[in-house]
Amino acid sequence: MTRVQIGALLTISLVGLVLAGPLSAHHSIQAQFDINKHVTVSGSIAKVEFINPHSYLTVNVKDADGKIIKWAFEMAAAAQLRAKGMSRADRGGLKPGDEVTVVALAARDGSNSGLLQELKMADGREFKFTPDPNGN
Amino acid sequence: MRFAALSRFAVATVALCLLSAVMIAQESSPPRRTTNAPPKPSGAATPRTADGHPDLTGVWNGLGDNLNGIPNQIANNGLSIESDSVTRDLHSGLLIATFPRNTNRPQNNEQAERAASLLRRVGSNRPVYKPEYWEMVHYLDHNSNEEDPSNNCMPAGIPRGGIPSYIGQQGTHLMFVYPGQGGLIATQTMYRMIPLDGRKHTPLQELDGTHTGEAIAHWDGDTLVVDSWGFNTNTWFDQIGGYFHSENMHVIERFHREGNTLTWTATVNDPDVLLEPWTTTPRVALLNPRPNALLPESLPCSERDLGHVVTKEHH
Repeated sequence: MTRVQIGALLTISLVGLVLAGPLSAHHSIQAQFDINKHVTVSGSIAKVEFINPHSYLTVNVKDADGKIIKWAFEMAAAAQLRAKGMSRADRGGLKPGDEVTVVALAARDGSNSGLLQELKMADGREFKFTPDPNGN
Repeated sequence: MRFAALSRFAVATVALCLLSAVMIAQESSPPRRTTNAPPKPSGAATPRTADGHPDLTGVWNGLGDNLNGIPNQIANNGLSIESDSVTRDLHSGLLIATFPRNTNRPQNNEQAERAASLLRRVGSNRPVYKPEYWEMVHYLDHNSNEEDPSNNCMPAGIPRGGIPSYIGQQGTHLMFVYPGQGGLIATQTMYRMIPLDGRKHTPLQELDGTHTGEAIAHWDGDTLVVDSWGFNTNTWFDQIGGYFHSENMHVIERFHREGNTLTWTATVNDPDVLLEPWTTTPRVALLNPRPNALLPESLPCSERDLGHVVTKEHH
Protein backbone atom coordinates (compact mmCIF):
# COMPACT_ATOMS: atom_id res chain seq x y z
CA MET A 1 0.00 0.00 0.00
CA THR A 2 1.39 3.40 -0.92
CA ARG A 3 1.49 6.44 1.30
CA VAL A 4 -1.08 8.15 -0.88
CA GLN A 5 -3.44 5.22 -0.53
CA ILE A 6 -3.00 5.23 3.23
CA GLY A 7 -3.70 8.93 3.29
CA ALA A 8 -6.82 8.35 1.26
CA LEU A 9 -8.12 5.76 3.66
CA LEU A 10 -7.38 7.95 6.63
CA THR A 11 -9.14 10.90 5.17
CA ILE A 12 -12.20 8.98 4.18
CA SER A 13 -12.28 7.75 7.74
CA LEU A 14 -11.73 11.13 9.33
CA VAL A 15 -14.30 12.96 7.26
CA GLY A 16 -16.81 10.27 8.02
CA LEU A 17 -16.02 10.45 11.69
CA VAL A 18 -16.72 14.10 12.04
CA LEU A 19 -20.31 13.42 11.26
CA ALA A 20 -20.60 10.97 14.12
CA GLY A 21 -20.79 13.89 16.52
CA PRO A 22 -24.47 13.82 17.40
CA LEU A 23 -24.06 10.51 19.18
CA SER A 24 -21.49 11.97 21.52
CA ALA A 25 -22.26 11.85 25.19
CA HIS A 26 -20.14 12.73 28.17
CA HIS A 27 -19.47 9.03 28.55
CA SER A 28 -19.10 6.17 26.12
CA ILE A 29 -22.55 4.75 25.41
CA GLN A 30 -21.38 1.21 24.87
CA ALA A 31 -19.29 1.32 28.05
CA GLN A 32 -22.54 1.64 30.00
CA PHE A 33 -25.19 0.02 27.81
CA ASP A 34 -25.34 -3.16 25.75
CA ILE A 35 -26.07 -1.90 22.26
CA ASN A 36 -27.28 -5.39 21.26
CA LYS A 37 -29.66 -5.99 24.15
CA HIS A 38 -33.00 -4.27 24.59
CA VAL A 39 -35.17 -4.22 27.66
CA THR A 40 -38.89 -3.36 27.66
CA VAL A 41 -40.72 -2.28 30.81
CA SER A 42 -44.14 -0.77 31.48
CA GLY A 43 -45.14 1.39 34.39
CA SER A 44 -46.12 4.87 35.49
CA ILE A 45 -43.87 7.89 35.27
CA ALA A 46 -42.42 8.91 38.61
CA LYS A 47 -40.20 11.79 37.51
CA VAL A 48 -39.09 13.64 34.36
CA GLU A 49 -35.85 15.60 34.70
CA PHE A 50 -34.40 17.86 32.01
CA ILE A 51 -30.86 18.05 33.33
CA ASN A 52 -27.20 17.83 32.30
CA PRO A 53 -25.32 15.72 31.38
CA HIS A 54 -28.41 13.73 30.32
CA SER A 55 -32.10 14.06 30.97
CA TYR A 56 -33.62 11.23 32.97
CA LEU A 57 -36.97 9.48 33.10
CA THR A 58 -37.83 7.54 36.25
CA VAL A 59 -40.59 4.94 35.93
CA ASN A 60 -42.35 3.02 38.71
CA VAL A 61 -42.70 -0.58 37.61
CA LYS A 62 -44.66 -3.20 39.53
CA ASP A 63 -42.97 -6.55 39.95
CA ALA A 64 -44.78 -9.90 40.15
CA ASP A 65 -45.58 -9.30 43.81
CA GLY A 66 -46.99 -5.86 43.16
CA LYS A 67 -43.99 -4.17 44.70
CA ILE A 68 -42.91 -0.90 43.06
CA ILE A 69 -39.45 -1.03 41.47
CA LYS A 70 -37.89 2.18 40.17
CA TRP A 71 -36.28 2.12 36.73
CA ALA A 72 -34.11 5.02 35.54
CA PHE A 73 -33.72 5.77 31.85
CA GLU A 74 -31.13 8.05 30.37
CA MET A 75 -32.63 10.26 27.67
CA ALA A 76 -31.39 12.60 24.99
CA ALA A 77 -30.45 16.23 25.56
CA ALA A 78 -33.26 18.51 26.66
CA ALA A 79 -33.29 20.40 23.35
CA GLN A 80 -33.77 17.17 21.42
CA LEU A 81 -36.57 16.09 23.73
CA ARG A 82 -38.34 19.40 23.26
CA ALA A 83 -37.88 19.13 19.50
CA LYS A 84 -39.73 15.81 19.70
CA GLY A 85 -42.64 17.46 21.46
CA MET A 86 -41.67 16.76 25.05
CA SER A 87 -42.31 20.11 26.56
CA ARG A 88 -44.98 21.03 29.07
CA ALA A 89 -47.40 18.23 29.84
CA ASP A 90 -50.27 20.34 28.47
CA ARG A 91 -48.45 20.53 25.13
CA GLY A 92 -48.05 16.79 24.80
CA GLY A 93 -45.19 16.24 27.19
CA LEU A 94 -44.89 13.81 30.04
CA LYS A 95 -46.12 14.13 33.58
CA PRO A 96 -45.89 11.96 36.68
CA GLY A 97 -48.54 9.26 36.66
CA ASP A 98 -48.63 8.75 32.89
CA GLU A 99 -48.61 5.08 31.96
CA VAL A 100 -45.80 4.31 29.52
CA THR A 101 -43.93 1.44 27.95
CA VAL A 102 -40.22 2.02 27.52
CA VAL A 103 -37.85 0.23 25.17
CA ALA A 104 -34.24 0.84 26.16
CA LEU A 105 -30.74 -0.47 25.74
CA ALA A 106 -30.01 -2.58 28.79
CA ALA A 107 -27.48 -1.46 31.38
CA ARG A 108 -24.38 -3.63 31.24
CA ASP A 109 -24.07 -3.66 35.01
CA GLY A 110 -27.48 -5.32 35.41
CA SER A 111 -29.04 -2.38 37.24
CA ASN A 112 -32.63 -1.28 36.68
CA SER A 113 -31.62 1.34 34.16
CA GLY A 114 -31.16 1.79 30.44
CA LEU A 115 -30.74 4.15 27.52
CA LEU A 116 -34.19 5.10 26.28
CA GLN A 117 -34.85 4.25 22.65
CA GLU A 118 -38.64 4.27 22.34
CA LEU A 119 -41.46 5.53 24.50
CA LYS A 120 -45.04 4.38 24.01
CA MET A 121 -47.82 6.39 25.64
CA ALA A 122 -51.18 5.06 26.79
CA ASP A 123 -52.90 7.31 24.21
CA GLY A 124 -51.11 5.50 21.41
CA ARG A 125 -48.38 8.02 20.72
CA GLU A 126 -44.87 6.67 20.19
CA PHE A 127 -41.60 8.56 20.41
CA LYS A 128 -38.24 7.40 19.06
CA PHE A 129 -35.30 9.28 20.40
CA THR A 130 -32.04 7.83 19.18
CA PRO A 131 -30.72 6.26 16.00
CA ASP A 132 -30.40 2.53 15.91
CA PRO A 133 -27.16 1.90 17.80
CA ASN A 134 -26.17 -0.62 15.20
CA GLY A 135 -26.65 1.79 12.35
CA ASN A 136 -29.47 -0.17 10.75
CA MET B 1 7.63 -1.36 10.17
CA ARG B 2 6.21 2.08 10.82
CA PHE B 3 4.66 2.00 7.39
CA ALA B 4 3.04 -1.34 8.11
CA ALA B 5 1.65 0.01 11.34
CA LEU B 6 0.26 3.00 9.51
CA SER B 7 -1.38 0.70 7.02
CA ARG B 8 -3.00 -1.35 9.74
CA PHE B 9 -4.20 1.81 11.44
CA ALA B 10 -5.62 3.14 8.21
CA VAL B 11 -7.44 -0.05 7.36
CA ALA B 12 -8.79 -0.45 10.87
CA THR B 13 -9.88 3.15 11.00
CA VAL B 14 -11.59 3.13 7.65
CA ALA B 15 -13.42 -0.02 8.63
CA LEU B 16 -14.71 1.80 11.67
CA CYS B 17 -15.54 5.07 10.12
CA LEU B 18 -17.05 4.79 6.69
CA LEU B 19 -20.52 6.11 6.26
CA SER B 20 -21.55 7.74 9.45
CA ALA B 21 -23.88 9.80 7.31
CA VAL B 22 -26.54 7.13 7.55
CA MET B 23 -26.72 7.64 11.27
CA ILE B 24 -26.74 11.35 10.86
CA ALA B 25 -29.58 11.14 8.40
CA GLN B 26 -31.61 9.61 11.18
CA GLU B 27 -31.05 12.63 13.37
CA SER B 28 -33.80 15.15 12.92
CA SER B 29 -31.87 18.07 14.37
CA PRO B 30 -29.65 19.96 14.25
CA PRO B 31 -29.15 20.10 10.49
CA ARG B 32 -26.30 17.99 9.23
CA ARG B 33 -23.05 19.89 8.88
CA THR B 34 -20.42 18.78 6.44
CA THR B 35 -17.73 21.16 7.63
CA ASN B 36 -16.27 22.38 10.89
CA ALA B 37 -14.26 25.13 9.23
CA PRO B 38 -14.25 28.30 11.34
CA PRO B 39 -16.75 30.87 10.11
CA LYS B 40 -15.43 33.79 8.13
CA PRO B 41 -16.09 37.32 9.38
CA SER B 42 -19.27 38.69 7.88
CA GLY B 43 -17.62 41.92 6.83
CA ALA B 44 -19.60 43.83 9.42
CA ALA B 45 -17.72 46.58 11.25
CA THR B 46 -16.24 45.73 14.62
CA PRO B 47 -18.08 47.76 17.24
CA ARG B 48 -15.91 49.87 19.54
CA THR B 49 -16.35 51.37 22.95
CA ALA B 50 -15.97 55.07 23.70
CA ASP B 51 -12.28 54.61 24.47
CA GLY B 52 -11.68 53.18 20.99
CA HIS B 53 -11.11 49.55 21.91
CA PRO B 54 -13.09 46.76 20.24
CA ASP B 55 -16.27 45.96 22.13
CA LEU B 56 -16.39 42.23 22.79
CA THR B 57 -19.80 42.41 24.45
CA GLY B 58 -22.17 39.79 23.12
CA VAL B 59 -23.58 36.27 23.21
CA TRP B 60 -20.92 34.20 21.45
CA ASN B 61 -22.87 31.02 20.79
CA GLY B 62 -23.88 31.73 17.23
CA LEU B 63 -22.79 28.35 15.94
CA GLY B 64 -25.23 26.67 18.23
CA ASP B 65 -23.22 23.45 18.52
CA ASN B 66 -23.06 23.77 22.24
CA LEU B 67 -23.48 26.40 24.87
CA ASN B 68 -19.84 27.34 24.74
CA GLY B 69 -20.11 28.40 21.12
CA ILE B 70 -17.21 26.18 20.19
CA PRO B 71 -17.37 25.18 16.52
CA ASN B 72 -17.26 21.57 17.53
CA GLN B 73 -15.28 19.04 19.43
CA ILE B 74 -13.10 18.12 16.50
CA ALA B 75 -11.97 21.68 15.83
CA ASN B 76 -10.89 21.81 19.44
CA ASN B 77 -8.39 19.15 18.64
CA GLY B 78 -6.92 20.80 15.63
CA LEU B 79 -8.61 19.26 12.60
CA SER B 80 -10.54 21.31 10.11
CA ILE B 81 -13.08 19.40 8.07
CA GLU B 82 -13.45 21.97 5.35
CA SER B 83 -15.70 20.06 3.01
CA ASP B 84 -16.67 16.54 2.08
CA SER B 85 -13.30 16.24 0.39
CA VAL B 86 -10.84 18.44 2.31
CA THR B 87 -9.43 17.73 5.76
CA ARG B 88 -6.65 19.86 7.18
CA ASP B 89 -4.44 19.74 10.23
CA LEU B 90 -4.86 23.28 11.53
CA HIS B 91 -1.51 23.44 13.33
CA SER B 92 0.67 22.37 10.44
CA GLY B 93 -1.66 23.71 7.76
CA LEU B 94 -1.17 20.48 5.86
CA LEU B 95 -3.92 18.66 4.06
CA ILE B 96 -4.31 15.17 5.39
CA ALA B 97 -5.73 14.08 2.06
CA THR B 98 -8.59 14.88 -0.27
CA PHE B 99 -10.98 12.09 -1.02
CA PRO B 100 -14.77 11.94 -1.11
CA ARG B 101 -16.74 10.37 1.68
CA ASN B 102 -18.44 7.06 1.08
CA THR B 103 -22.05 7.30 2.20
CA ASN B 104 -23.50 3.83 1.73
CA ARG B 105 -22.56 1.71 4.73
CA PRO B 106 -23.72 2.00 8.33
CA GLN B 107 -21.52 2.23 11.37
CA ASN B 108 -22.64 1.06 14.77
CA ASN B 109 -22.31 2.98 17.99
CA GLU B 110 -19.28 1.07 19.21
CA GLN B 111 -17.44 1.65 15.95
CA ALA B 112 -18.38 5.32 15.87
CA GLU B 113 -17.20 5.96 19.40
CA ARG B 114 -13.88 4.21 18.94
CA ALA B 115 -13.27 5.98 15.67
CA ALA B 116 -14.13 9.35 17.20
CA SER B 117 -11.70 8.71 20.05
CA LEU B 118 -8.97 8.14 17.49
CA LEU B 119 -9.90 11.24 15.53
CA ARG B 120 -9.71 13.45 18.59
CA ARG B 121 -6.09 12.39 18.97
CA VAL B 122 -4.91 12.89 15.40
CA GLY B 123 -4.18 16.63 15.52
CA SER B 124 -0.49 17.52 15.59
CA ASN B 125 -0.66 20.39 18.08
CA ARG B 126 0.10 18.73 21.42
CA PRO B 127 1.66 19.97 24.67
CA VAL B 128 5.13 18.61 25.36
CA TYR B 129 5.49 17.23 28.87
CA LYS B 130 8.71 16.49 30.68
CA PRO B 131 9.62 12.86 30.07
CA GLU B 132 8.85 11.77 33.61
CA TYR B 133 5.20 12.87 33.25
CA TRP B 134 4.19 11.12 30.01
CA GLU B 135 3.26 7.92 31.79
CA MET B 136 0.91 9.91 34.03
CA VAL B 137 -0.63 11.71 31.04
CA HIS B 138 -1.28 8.41 29.29
CA TYR B 139 -2.71 6.89 32.46
CA LEU B 140 -5.10 9.81 32.96
CA ASP B 141 -6.25 9.72 29.35
CA HIS B 142 -6.74 5.96 29.31
CA ASN B 143 -8.62 6.03 32.61
CA SER B 144 -10.59 9.22 32.03
CA ASN B 145 -13.87 7.58 33.09
CA GLU B 146 -12.46 7.65 36.61
CA GLU B 147 -9.78 10.35 36.42
CA ASP B 148 -11.23 13.25 34.43
CA PRO B 149 -11.54 16.07 36.98
CA SER B 150 -14.60 17.46 35.17
CA ASN B 151 -16.54 14.28 35.97
CA ASN B 152 -19.47 14.64 38.34
CA CYS B 153 -20.37 18.08 36.98
CA MET B 154 -17.25 19.85 38.18
CA PRO B 155 -16.03 23.05 36.46
CA ALA B 156 -13.98 22.71 33.28
CA GLY B 157 -11.55 25.38 34.45
CA ILE B 158 -9.29 27.56 32.32
CA PRO B 159 -8.45 27.19 29.48
CA ARG B 160 -10.46 23.97 29.09
CA GLY B 161 -13.66 26.01 29.23
CA GLY B 162 -12.77 27.54 25.85
CA ILE B 163 -14.58 30.64 24.66
CA PRO B 164 -17.15 32.11 27.05
CA SER B 165 -20.71 32.10 25.75
CA TYR B 166 -21.24 35.61 27.02
CA ILE B 167 -18.83 38.53 27.35
CA GLY B 168 -19.87 41.76 28.98
CA GLN B 169 -17.32 44.57 28.60
CA GLN B 170 -18.06 47.18 31.19
CA GLY B 171 -15.26 49.72 31.28
CA THR B 172 -13.12 48.72 34.21
CA HIS B 173 -13.94 45.05 34.10
CA LEU B 174 -15.22 42.18 31.96
CA MET B 175 -17.80 39.52 32.76
CA PHE B 176 -17.32 36.09 31.19
CA VAL B 177 -20.08 33.48 31.50
CA TYR B 178 -19.57 29.79 30.67
CA PRO B 179 -22.93 28.00 30.99
CA GLY B 180 -22.86 24.45 32.23
CA GLN B 181 -23.07 21.94 29.43
CA GLY B 182 -23.64 18.26 28.76
CA GLY B 183 -21.57 17.52 25.69
CA LEU B 184 -18.17 15.88 25.45
CA ILE B 185 -17.54 16.88 29.02
CA ALA B 186 -20.38 17.73 31.37
CA THR B 187 -19.49 20.76 33.41
CA GLN B 188 -20.82 23.19 35.90
CA THR B 189 -21.49 26.84 35.05
CA MET B 190 -18.48 29.13 35.51
CA TYR B 191 -18.19 32.89 35.53
CA ARG B 192 -15.18 35.18 35.67
CA MET B 193 -15.09 38.85 36.69
CA ILE B 194 -11.89 40.20 35.15
CA PRO B 195 -10.46 43.64 35.97
CA LEU B 196 -9.41 45.82 33.06
CA ASP B 197 -8.08 48.71 35.13
CA GLY B 198 -4.34 48.22 34.94
CA ARG B 199 -3.92 46.38 38.22
CA LYS B 200 -1.21 43.75 38.64
CA HIS B 201 -1.47 40.15 39.77
CA THR B 202 -1.51 39.21 43.42
CA PRO B 203 1.78 37.40 44.11
CA LEU B 204 1.21 33.74 43.26
CA GLN B 205 2.23 32.49 46.69
CA GLU B 206 -0.50 34.62 48.30
CA LEU B 207 -3.30 33.06 46.24
CA ASP B 208 -5.35 30.03 47.12
CA GLY B 209 -5.73 27.99 43.98
CA THR B 210 -9.12 28.05 42.24
CA HIS B 211 -10.63 26.49 39.11
CA THR B 212 -10.53 29.76 37.15
CA GLY B 213 -7.53 31.36 38.85
CA GLU B 214 -6.91 35.07 39.23
CA ALA B 215 -7.33 36.92 35.93
CA ILE B 216 -6.29 40.41 34.88
CA ALA B 217 -6.75 41.89 31.41
CA HIS B 218 -5.15 44.47 29.19
CA TRP B 219 -5.21 45.48 25.53
CA ASP B 220 -2.47 44.64 23.06
CA GLY B 221 -3.58 46.81 20.17
CA ASP B 222 -7.02 45.50 19.24
CA THR B 223 -6.50 42.17 21.00
CA LEU B 224 -7.72 41.60 24.54
CA VAL B 225 -5.16 39.71 26.62
CA VAL B 226 -6.37 37.87 29.72
CA ASP B 227 -3.56 36.79 32.04
CA SER B 228 -4.43 34.17 34.68
CA TRP B 229 -2.62 32.32 37.43
CA GLY B 230 -3.47 31.03 40.89
CA PHE B 231 -5.09 27.76 39.81
CA ASN B 232 -5.80 24.61 41.76
CA THR B 233 -4.81 21.28 40.23
CA ASN B 234 -8.38 20.00 39.75
CA THR B 235 -8.67 20.73 36.03
CA TRP B 236 -7.16 19.60 32.73
CA PHE B 237 -6.14 22.27 30.26
CA ASP B 238 -7.50 20.76 27.03
CA GLN B 239 -10.70 18.97 26.10
CA ILE B 240 -9.26 15.46 26.18
CA GLY B 241 -5.88 13.83 26.55
CA GLY B 242 -5.26 13.77 30.29
CA TYR B 243 -3.41 17.09 30.15
CA PHE B 244 -2.97 17.84 33.83
CA HIS B 245 -1.11 20.85 35.21
CA SER B 246 0.51 22.10 38.38
CA GLU B 247 -0.67 24.92 40.66
CA ASN B 248 1.99 27.09 39.02
CA MET B 249 0.24 27.06 35.61
CA HIS B 250 0.14 30.48 33.97
CA VAL B 251 -2.40 31.01 31.14
CA ILE B 252 -2.46 33.80 28.59
CA GLU B 253 -5.66 34.04 26.54
CA ARG B 254 -5.98 36.30 23.52
CA PHE B 255 -9.37 37.44 22.18
CA HIS B 256 -9.64 39.18 18.83
CA ARG B 257 -12.96 40.36 17.44
CA GLU B 258 -13.44 40.93 13.73
CA GLY B 259 -17.03 41.85 12.96
CA ASN B 260 -19.18 38.94 14.10
CA THR B 261 -16.34 36.49 14.82
CA LEU B 262 -14.20 36.09 17.91
CA THR B 263 -10.87 34.28 17.63
CA TRP B 264 -9.38 32.82 20.80
CA THR B 265 -6.09 31.21 21.70
CA ALA B 266 -4.68 30.19 25.05
CA THR B 267 -1.02 29.71 25.90
CA VAL B 268 -0.28 27.41 28.82
CA ASN B 269 3.02 27.94 30.56
CA ASP B 270 3.74 25.41 33.28
CA PRO B 271 7.48 24.84 33.74
CA ASP B 272 6.76 22.35 36.53
CA VAL B 273 5.40 19.78 34.07
CA LEU B 274 5.84 21.09 30.51
CA LEU B 275 9.09 21.38 28.58
CA GLU B 276 7.82 24.47 26.77
CA PRO B 277 4.74 26.70 26.68
CA TRP B 278 1.87 25.28 24.63
CA THR B 279 -0.60 27.32 22.58
CA THR B 280 -3.98 26.00 21.51
CA THR B 281 -4.95 25.91 17.88
CA PRO B 282 -7.05 29.08 17.37
CA ARG B 283 -10.77 28.61 17.88
CA VAL B 284 -13.46 30.85 16.47
CA ALA B 285 -16.85 31.68 17.95
CA LEU B 286 -19.67 33.35 16.08
CA LEU B 287 -21.82 36.10 17.54
CA ASN B 288 -25.41 35.01 18.03
CA PRO B 289 -27.15 36.53 14.99
CA ARG B 290 -30.21 37.62 16.97
CA PRO B 291 -29.57 41.11 18.32
CA ASN B 292 -31.77 40.42 21.35
CA ALA B 293 -30.22 37.02 22.10
CA LEU B 294 -30.03 35.93 25.71
CA LEU B 295 -28.30 33.00 27.34
CA PRO B 296 -30.75 30.25 28.21
CA GLU B 297 -30.94 28.87 31.71
CA SER B 298 -28.05 26.59 32.45
CA LEU B 299 -29.57 23.20 33.22
CA PRO B 300 -28.68 21.77 36.60
CA CYS B 301 -26.08 19.05 36.37
CA SER B 302 -26.52 15.73 38.17
CA GLU B 303 -24.27 12.83 37.28
CA ARG B 304 -26.12 9.48 37.13
CA ASP B 305 -24.09 7.54 34.59
CA LEU B 306 -20.47 7.10 35.50
CA GLY B 307 -21.27 4.77 38.37
CA HIS B 308 -22.73 2.35 35.82
CA VAL B 309 -19.87 2.45 33.33
CA VAL B 310 -18.26 -0.97 33.21
CA THR B 311 -15.41 -0.59 30.69
CA LYS B 312 -12.64 1.91 29.98
CA GLU B 313 -14.15 3.02 26.69
CA HIS B 314 -13.94 6.79 26.68
CA HIS B 315 -13.65 9.87 24.53
